[in-house]
Amino acid sequence: MLTEPSALDEFLFLQFKSGNESAFEQLFKAHYNPIVGFCNQFISDHDKSASLAQEAFINLWMNRSKIQSPNGIKSFLYTFAKSSCLNFIRHQKVVSKYEDRHLQAMEGKLNSEVLDSFDFDALEFSEMEELIYRSISELPEKCRQVFMASRFEGKKNKEIADELQISVKSVEANITRALKTLSVKLGEYLPAVLVQMIMHYMS
Amino acid sequence: MEYAQIIKYIAGEASEEEVRAIFQWIESSSDNKEEFVKLKKAYALTSKSADNAQHVWNDVMIRRIHRKENLRRLYTYTRYAAIIVLFFALGMVFQNQLRFGKSAETVYASNMSIDVPLGQMSDLTLPDGTTVQLNSGSHFAYTGNFAAGDRTVELQGEAFFEVAKDANHPFTVKTKSLDFKVYGTSFNIQAYEDEKEVNTTLVEGSLGVLSKTGKEFTRLVPGENVKYNDDSKELVVKNVNTDLYTSWQKGLITFRNEKLQDIAKKMERWYNVEIKIEDQELADELYFGTIMKNKPIDQILEVFRMTSSLQYRILPRPGEPTLIYWE
Repeated sequence: MLTEPSALDEFLFLQFKSGNESAFEQLFKAHYNPIVGFCNQFISDHDKSASLAQEAFINLWMNRSKIQSPNGIKSFLYTFAKSSCLNFIRHQKVVSKYEDRHLQAMEGKLNSEVLDSFDFDALEFSEMEELIYRSISELPEKCRQVFMASRFEGKKNKEIADELQISVKSVEANITRALKTLSVKLGEYLPAVLVQMIMHYMS
Repeated sequence: MEYAQIIKYIAGEASEEEVRAIFQWIESSSDNKEEFVKLKKAYALTSKSADNAQHVWNDVMIRRIHRKENLRRLYTYTRYAAIIVLFFALGMVFQNQLRFGKSAETVYASNMSIDVPLGQMSDLTLPDGTTVQLNSGSHFAYTGNFAAGDRTVELQGEAFFEVAKDANHPFTVKTKSLDFKVYGTSFNIQAYEDEKEVNTTLVEGSLGVLSKTGKEFTRLVPGENVKYNDDSKELVVKNVNTDLYTSWQKGLITFRNEKLQDIAKKMERWYNVEIKIEDQELADELYFGTIMKNKPIDQILEVFRMTSSLQYRILPRPGEPTLIYWE
């Protein structure tokens, strides 16, 4: 999801709005893999994730007149992906990864809570995106390199270790550190409702 | 719980035993759960699959988009079609109550002629029971011998005939360039003075097509249309959908790729207006569509504006037919 906003985005957005299919193709290529990756985090089925993502893009195209700003594109896609995933989990279509069905049920419940806590409203979304982008850029050099290679280039820890000539343990540690930093920053965006809900369950 | 453990789980690399331990940790305090939710969010938002988006675009998306758009288009068309059908259905219901400028008269006079004003239609019943529906701007006449068995009538303009059967007394329609000998039948004749063609369509029965000197050129069977051109002196017989030629009686007019200038001429007659087309290209533009003639002319003009490339301007003139520019 992390791309720096630019004049090109604005241009593409306007072309896309006017029904230009190649502009849409550019947007598709920029955002397809992040949306598939996002869905796959919650439903652990790559083919299904790909199909949900494609559905999100088709709906984006059919509703292009309603999109207000370049940021609205990602906001639309993630919102669509979120509700598709929630729907998928609720109807228990997820194939169990675990022998213990109880674990699968718990995971479904946890995933739903995580999904519910996302607010992809265009304004919130751009703030959140900006926050993540800034947080990553503020990471120490090595940590940032490792994190980008792992999360955005899809490289295996071993490959990253070889490339940067560090140990696999160090790669793991850097990824953990980066995610921890990000999660702390994202904490500000955890809606109060969810916190209350969690408190309720605990009491 | 170690962060590394949680991330191992989020990355999908933890064993079932490890997962069980992590879930226990998560459920043991609200802080733990909150910690987990934040990590999972950060991970999900920075996730990226390794698919080849270009291939997916080429192989899947293009087809899906077009299929979706075609479906949407079909839906839109269906909706419009439904609206149009409703419009016509309402029109048909109302036309029985609100016949526009149309009057039914029974004619008993021995010598008779009728001129139908522009913009109106007229229904006649002749002494032998034949009915004639005259379109606007038509002139129709017969002589005193009609009642005595000489069923000969004259027509300039357009009329739809339903001729009463009488084997002993042939029914003849004389037009400017052709005569028609009728053998119990219904048919439509278009023979306006200002048009170069006589155009006749047989719906039912049998109809002889005669030269002005009484020689029979041909005899039409139902569904056939004969067209005679004054300039080329050519007589063309072909099979047609008779509704297209007779629909004017119901106020429903279908234009089948007719030039706008020909349509303008008809509209001048129906509405008693004058239509000027100065652009020859527009005059030659072909139009396909159905209109309700009984509707006010401004509605008809709107239909043309929306369904063809023409724009119009209306100039009312006192004491003269309204002038309409098509441009």
